[in-house]
This record gives sequence, structure tokens and C-alpha cells, in this order.
Amino acid sequence: MAETSKVLDVAGVSKRFGDIEVLSDVSFQVDKGETICVLGPSGSGKSTLLRCINWLERPDAGQIYLNGERIGINNAGIVMGDRELSKIRTRIGMVFQHFALWPHLTVLQNLMEAPVQVQKRPKAEVYDEALALLAKVGLSDKRDAFPAKLSGGQKQRVGIARALAMRPDLLLFDEPTSALDPELVGEVLVVMRDLAREGMTMVIVTHEMAFARDAATRVLFLDRGRAVETGSPDRFFSNPETERARQFLQRYAGDTANNKR
Amino acid sequence: MSGGDIAAIFQGAIVTVTLSFIGILIGLPIGLGLALLRWANVPFAAKVVTLYVSILRATPLVTLLLLLFFALPNIGVPINPISAAILALVMNTSAFNCEVWRSALMNFPKDQYEAAQSVGMTAEQRFRRIVLPQIVRVSLPGLVNEMSLLIKVTPVLAVVGVVDITRAAVRIGAQTYEPLPPFLVAVALYAPIVFALVSLQRWIERRQVAAEAAA
Amino acid sequence: MIHDFGIVWGERALLLSGLVNTAILSALSAVAALLLGFIVTPALMSKRPAVSGAARLFVDGMRCVPFLLFAYIVYYGFPSFGIRLDNWTSGLAALTIYNAAYMAEILRGAWAVQPREPIEAGIAFGFSDIRLFRRIILPPLLLSAGPVIGNQMIQIIKDSAFLSIIALPELTHAASSIQSRHYVPFAAFITAVFLYWGLCLIIEAGVGSIGRVAEARR
Repeated sequence: MAETSKVLDVAGVSKRFGDIEVLSDVSFQVDKGETICVLGPSGSGKSTLLRCINWLERPDAGQIYLNGERIGINNAGIVMGDRELSKIRTRIGMVFQHFALWPHLTVLQNLMEAPVQVQKRPKAEVYDEALALLAKVGLSDKRDAFPAKLSGGQKQRVGIARALAMRPDLLLFDEPTSALDPELVGEVLVVMRDLAREGMTMVIVTHEMAFARDAATRVLFLDRGRAVETGSPDRFFSNPETERARQFLQRYAGDTANNKR
Repeated sequence: MSGGDIAAIFQGAIVTVTLSFIGILIGLPIGLGLALLRWANVPFAAKVVTLYVSILRATPLVTLLLLLFFALPNIGVPINPISAAILALVMNTSAFNCEVWRSALMNFPKDQYEAAQSVGMTAEQRFRRIVLPQIVRVSLPGLVNEMSLLIKVTPVLAVVGVVDITRAAVRIGAQTYEPLPPFLVAVALYAPIVFALVSLQRWIERRQVAAEAAA
Repeated sequence: MIHDFGIVWGERALLLSGLVNTAILSALSAVAALLLGFIVTPALMSKRPAVSGAARLFVDGMRCVPFLLFAYIVYYGFPSFGIRLDNWTSGLAALTIYNAAYMAEILRGAWAVQPREPIEAGIAFGFSDIRLFRRIILPPLLLSAGPVIGNQMIQIIKDSAFLSIIALPELTHAASSIQSRHYVPFAAFITAVFLYWGLCLIIEAGVGSIGRVAEARR
């Protein structure tokens, strides 16, 4: 099952919260260098899917493989302990809707914390890399600022740099721009678009249709917990296969026109 | 432990709780007055109040009580145990109440005060009709909390001989080699009173949260 | 009056040892109460009703019992069970156990208002167990609870004065001794009051600087 180019393999994942089935039998794969945008109406299970991938949420059924290695269940077939899970999680970067920066650490410390404390990499090396990442997201001058002093767009760019500092095999984005004021969305999308171009492997849950259309290599459409449709953005946006996708796109058509970037 | 001992402890608890209620009744308006002096930034007086609150907040009630009871006669002011106790409680609680009132005053929305000014209310009317009803509501949980704290320190009044809880305990302990029961009886008398106040405070807080959520 | 203060000055060694004892007693029990609080707080929030109920009973129980009575019960009560404690040990134990209940409640309150997402980010970035707690959860928790913990430390200092009644040689006890030896009540007790005030000012200064650190990191 472990093809070298396949970074993520999600096979038949289901999840329920009480009586509500949030995900049912969702399967998809992500190849190295792909940017997958997960689209769908709110409540369709997009965020839950993302959180199941790194086991922040424990799936009820199905398998998830990162570079051919099973996440959550070890070779002996039992559920992984926190430590085992932690080891795998360090290879999956995550960017949060509300940034989730650590408030007691400066920007630079936020970037260095997990690589030094969890991955145990040498401090000097991490430091140089963190500075380079801050330059990349355009925040070199904010290295010693605390998160409270940053704007939303700046916080999210730090969030992305913090995830990259782990040198992850895969980056997960959970609605990275939906908590931002409209005028700050652009600066974050620019960074994400650069990453896509550079060949970072990413799974992005988003409502930014214009971004999905021109930055995604593939689109995954989720509706009521099911992966209804997947394909190239061009085909999905111009000629969706399913009625549900068509309705969804119609509802967003207005927004997309307004938010052309 | 005889019935008479229990009666002595019971009476002691009643006396101390009564004294603390008297202390609160006097300390409450004094605290408000002090808070107003600070709030209005009255020259000199505001500074004195700040100093008073700072020192009193740091002074243990036992120490204050001993100071008043022994030192006032020393400088020519005769004082009996009951008066010393009430004075100590009033001094202690007025300092804490001042802080509770002051924080309510500080958080009072300025535009409301200006609105009252704009409709031509006098300073006295503004305070009595607009400010006071609202800061009473905001301060209530803090004041009830302060009340329960005050009642909890009142057993110390036994030190200057206002009441007999501890002396009864020590005497009974010496007679029976069982000093614990008298203290347990005292706890059984105090705990329900404090628990009632703590519950009252939580109830007020919950009601206010609910009222805010409904608004 | 000046003469009285001269007498108190003459007894400065006694007063100083009382002050030091008060400071040691308060500092030790504040740290111990905080540590104990960290054990009680998770119990308070436990999903198992037996655990959370027991913790709640302890915390509410302590809140309802006057400290003086609690100190007496520890001092006189433990020997009834065959455990002999000297007045230092029983004073320290009483201060610690009593204030642990308050610390637990303070930490629970601070915990309840902490945002979840940074902690989740810690988990997603591979932190677990002790390291997650120590590096990600604890620092913001302590910063936000700092001022209230400071207030509680002032309360601990004041509670420690009660222990003069079980003959623990702390500040109030020292002042009492001076007063009974020389009959200089005003000078002795007012000096004690000012020394207590000094201790509290130190704590308030500490809280103030923690507050400034926390303000930047909100």
C-alpha cells in the first residue's frame, strides 16, 4: 500500500458524535507535492476530517497512512499511546483557524518550541531555520514580538511558519483565513500560494473558492460527511458532476465574484 | 463534654456571628464612603484612604485585635472586649469593602453618568438614582464573599475573651483528654452559616450571568 | 511613646525571628498549597463523579471552616489518632491543606477560561504528557492566575498569624511576647502591623511585575 509518491492515504474513515454521523466512509489520497482543497458547506465534516488525519479526533472506522505508515494503530494492532502518536504528529504540520499561537512565547520562540523540545533538534540549526522561515512569511521584524501584538494576518503567517519549522511531510490547514478580517485574507493566501508552487504537500479546508480554483491541484467536495466528488479544480468549478456540488457552487458564486483576488 | 459546654460554645458562636454582622452593617457604608473618596480623587483624603486600605488589607485580624485591645487603654482610651472586637471587624471589613465598591465604580460606564448629567440631574441625584443601584448589583457577590470571610475569622475574637469557644475547648480537653469534640461542635455551628453565604454568592452570580445572557 | 519603641528596638532580635518565621511559614505553605492545588484541580474537573465529588467536598469544606478552628483541629486532633505533631509541623500542615483548597479553586477558574486551541496546537505539534503540561499549558495558566494567587499568598500570611495561638513563634507571637514582657502594647503591635504590611507590599510588587509580563503575553 505504500507507494513512494503517496504521502497521505485516507481509507474509509468514519466518525460519529453521538447520534450524528459526521464522516462516513471517506477515502482519498494525496500525492507528494499536491495541494488538495477540501470544500463543502459548513457542517459537512471538513474540519473533523482534518482533525482525524492527525488523530486530534479519533476516527471510529477506517485507516489513515502517512508515507505508508499507519497512524493511530500500531503494528501490534492496538491504539497508539500519546507518545507514539506524538512522534507521528511531528511529521504533520497543522495551521489552525484561530491561529492557536502560544501566547507566552515570542514569535521566534513559537517557531522553535516544538522542533527543539519535541524533535530534539540542535538549537542553533533550528534558530537559523526559524529566521529564514520568518523572512519567508515577511515577518522578520516581528521575531521578538508576542502574539498579542500581531494582527490576525500576521498571526496566521506565524502559524504557517511554525508548522513549517517542523519540516513536516504534510501540512494541514483548518480554514486558515475564516477568522480574518477580509482585508487581511490576501497576505495569508499569498504565503499559501507560494508553498503550493514550491511543491509542499498540503490539505486545505477552505471557503476561499478563488484560491481553490487557481492554487489547488485537486478538489475534494464533502457533503454531509461523504466525499461526494473529487477532481481537478477546473472541472469541479466549471462542470461539477453532482447536483449537490452544483447547488453549493451556486450559493458561493456571488461570494467568489466579490472576493476575486 | 456536658450540655453546658455545648451551650457555652453555642453561645460563643452566636456572639461572634452577631458581632460580625454588626461589623458588616457598619463597615459596608464606611467602605462605600472610602471608595467614593478614592473614586472622586479628593485631594489628600484619597491618598489617606489608599494607605489605610493597603495597610489594613495586610494586617491579620488577630494582630489588629490585640493592638486595639491592649494599646487603646495604653494611650488613654478605655475599651472593652466587645467594642475592640467590633472596631477591629469594622476596620478590617471596611478596607475590603472599599476595594469591592471601588472596582464597581471604576467599571461603571462613563456614558451613563454623562447621560444623567445631560438631563440635568444634580450630583447627588446622579449618584443615588443612577450609579448606586447599579454598583450595588455589581458589588453584591464580592460583598457577600467578604461577609463569609469575615465570619470565618470571628472565632479569633476569643483571643481577647469576648467568647469562650477555645477556653471551653481547652478546659474540656484538660479534663477529658479529648480536646477535639468541642472544636468539632464549633465547626458544626460555623460551617452551615458560611456555607449558606457561599451558596448565596454563587446563586447571585449565576442569576446575574443568566440575566446577562438573556439580555 | 518614643521610649516604648526603644524597648521594641531592644527586642529586635525576637521580632526579626518572628518576621522570618512568618515569611518562611507563609512561603513554604504557599508553595506546598499551590502544588497540592495542582493535584486537587484535575480531581475537581474529573469526569468520574466520585472523584470530582470528593474534591468538591474538600474544597467547599475548607471554604466553610474557620481557619482558626481548622488549625486547632489539626493541632489537637492528630494526637487523638496517635500522630504527634509539633506546633511547626501542625501549623504548616494546617496552612497548607487549608489554602490548597483555595489554590485548587483558583487554578480551576484560570483553567476554565484558558483558550483550548493553543493546547490543541501543542498536541498537534507532538507535545504529550508532562512536556505538554510544563511547556504549553502551565506558563499561560500561571500568568493568568498570578494576581489571584498573589492575593491568596497575602491571605496565607494573615492566616499564619492565627498560629500564634498554638504558640508558634511567628510575628504576632513575638509582638505578644514583647508586649507581655514590657507592657508596650502599642509600639509592639503597630510594629508588627507595619512588618506585615512590608511583606504584603513585597508580594504586591511581585504580582505587579508578573502582571506586566502577563499583559504582553495575553
